[in-house]
Amino acid sequence: MFIQTLVTGLAIGGIYALMAVGYSLVFSILNFSNFAYGSIIMLGAYIGYYLLMEMGVPVYLAIGGSIAGAALLCLLNERLAYSTLRKRNAPSLYFMISAMGTSIFLENFVYATIGSRFYAFPEVLTQQNFSFGGVSIGMLDVFAIVFSFIAIYGLHYFLQNSRTGIAIRAASYDMQVSQLNGVNIARTIGWVFLLAGALAGISGMFLGMKYMVYPTMGWITNKAYIAAVIGGLGSLPGAVVGGLLLGVLETFVSAYVSSVVRDVFSFSLLVVLLLVLPTGLFGKFLEEKV
Amino acid sequence: MKMRWLVLVMLAILATVAAGCGTAGDDNVIKIGNAVALTGDNSTWGQAEKNALEMEIEKINAKGGVLGKKLQLVAYDTRADATEGVNVTKRLVSDKVAGIIGPGQSGVAIAMSSVAEPAKVPFIATSATNPKVTVDDKTNKVRKYAFRTCFIDPFQGTVAAQFAAKELKATTAAIVYDVGSDYSAWLGKYFTAEFEKQGGKIVANEAFRSGELDYRAILGKIKGTNPEVIFIPTMQKEAALVMKQAADLGIKTKFVGGDGWGSPDLLTLGGSAVEGSYFVNLASMDDPDIQNFIKEYQEKYKADPIMPNPVMAIDALYALVDAMNKTNSADPVKIAEQLEKTKDLPVLSGKLTIDPNTHDPLNKPAIIQEVKDGKFIFKSKFVTQ
Repeated sequence: MFIQTLVTGLAIGGIYALMAVGYSLVFSILNFSNFAYGSIIMLGAYIGYYLLMEMGVPVYLAIGGSIAGAALLCLLNERLAYSTLRKRNAPSLYFMISAMGTSIFLENFVYATIGSRFYAFPEVLTQQNFSFGGVSIGMLDVFAIVFSFIAIYGLHYFLQNSRTGIAIRAASYDMQVSQLNGVNIARTIGWVFLLAGALAGISGMFLGMKYMVYPTMGWITNKAYIAAVIGGLGSLPGAVVGGLLLGVLETFVSAYVSSVVRDVFSFSLLVVLLLVLPTGLFGKFLEEKV
Repeated sequence: MKMRWLVLVMLAILATVAAGCGTAGDDNVIKIGNAVALTGDNSTWGQAEKNALEMEIEKINAKGGVLGKKLQLVAYDTRADATEGVNVTKRLVSDKVAGIIGPGQSGVAIAMSSVAEPAKVPFIATSATNPKVTVDDKTNKVRKYAFRTCFIDPFQGTVAAQFAAKELKATTAAIVYDVGSDYSAWLGKYFTAEFEKQGGKIVANEAFRSGELDYRAILGKIKGTNPEVIFIPTMQKEAALVMKQAADLGIKTKFVGGDGWGSPDLLTLGGSAVEGSYFVNLASMDDPDIQNFIKEYQEKYKADPIMPNPVMAIDALYALVDAMNKTNSADPVKIAEQLEKTKDLPVLSGKLTIDPNTHDPLNKPAIIQEVKDGKFIFKSKFVTQ
């Protein structure tokens, strides 16, 4: 049971990690938490579901479509909800409120247009199991963990080695100074949102396959947000470690204590950790940009 | 200049609203309220309920209406949420409805009582099965304006436990329930009481919080106790996920549930994992008594009515109409007094008799359905003993 719990926890943590990276990416540049991210994940899942079930495209194309669609939506989100605020140098609190508004808007938009029904992906994708030594793990979980790590590593590589990546990292230290040095801030921020959106598409697809597709599925990003804070907001390795840690811890609390107190536990962990390490495990001290 | 336009637009809106209010006091219609979940997790039932009521009211009106007046359905969305339920009741009271049909959720119904009782407007819950809906648990007195057309959870839990013990021959059972839902938690308790009375043993009793997506941690724990039956008194979404993830973990037992399962969603979400499971329901598509209704519904809406809410709501509508005819008035207070006396009234699901002490229907049968080949199959019928 111990190993089974650990494996299950890692599988859940992998998806938290993927979402947490998306959060951290945006936070590292704009210094605010993009609460609309959960809704983008939800829309990514709907796009994937539509492509697969209505258009009948193969799975890998549906995943691709979900990634592309969510990335574009995330970019659109930035252009509509945040770029005007950015141009006016609004404090980050306003970004956060704008993000919450966007999130509620998108959720209700789906309610009003598509409806509140639950959708499930076909079983062929979700039913296969691996079993070894009494421990069983779904094919999808293995795939999710592997794919998450590839995506996160790809992102890391991109940030370290490409011109845009370097610009993003420069902007995350100081937007004004990097702008003076010739970095096109609008374009850089656009890239950040595209990348975060792509991760949202992957997470949405996996969440949809693992559980189901419905309008409020984006709420699970609350957990990813906690994971990002535990790891240190703005730090990508921190987000990964935070996600895995939270997933494993939660599963152990559910299995050995009670699943009722699971959230009490995660949030207490957050509070205690912030008291001891105010910037999370890997975070740098960031001053609020006002 | 801009400001002036804004004022004009505002005035126009106000004028429309005022005009809308003007028609509210129409003397030639009797308004029937419907507090129903049209969005959210319970909307599949709620929308079918509203459709069925509209269809039935159309028929009644075509035959000349009630007391020489036309019936008019006023349906508001509760989103299956207690706070919304209270707001909706307030709106319906101010709309001067003769009575309210719904809600379908016990938590919403209990909250609604706080408005319906002082306003003296009766509501007839459709699928709210918790005993506290009609009986105030503090004073142990029946709520004067709360009624229902469905059986209650102690009966449902008993039926499920007897079915598990007698027909499935189970001696050990595990329960997975939602601690955030009165319906789920109490149904689990009633099941436990009867299952133990039948000589069975509850080997695991695991709770989760509403909205949970991943049950593998608690299922891993249950797997170790090796139960013969797992009872899941939750709604269709949770039940489907639990069974799916149990299959992932290689758990091979029989699953039993309550009337919260009775949605096609259970089949689409659960897929092959829900095959061979059983649940207690209030009404079944196979019931020969309601075939006419099902046919009419299918012709009108090109879809199946999602059981059991449409049937329960039409039962409630008949009860209201009967009370209006007998008292010769649309006064909510008189209707409530008459509803209590309802006896052997022919309704869609059979004959309705309201117990004046509890406001619950008497001798309401429970149906056990089996999931087989992606369909709900009628298995057996239980009647209160």
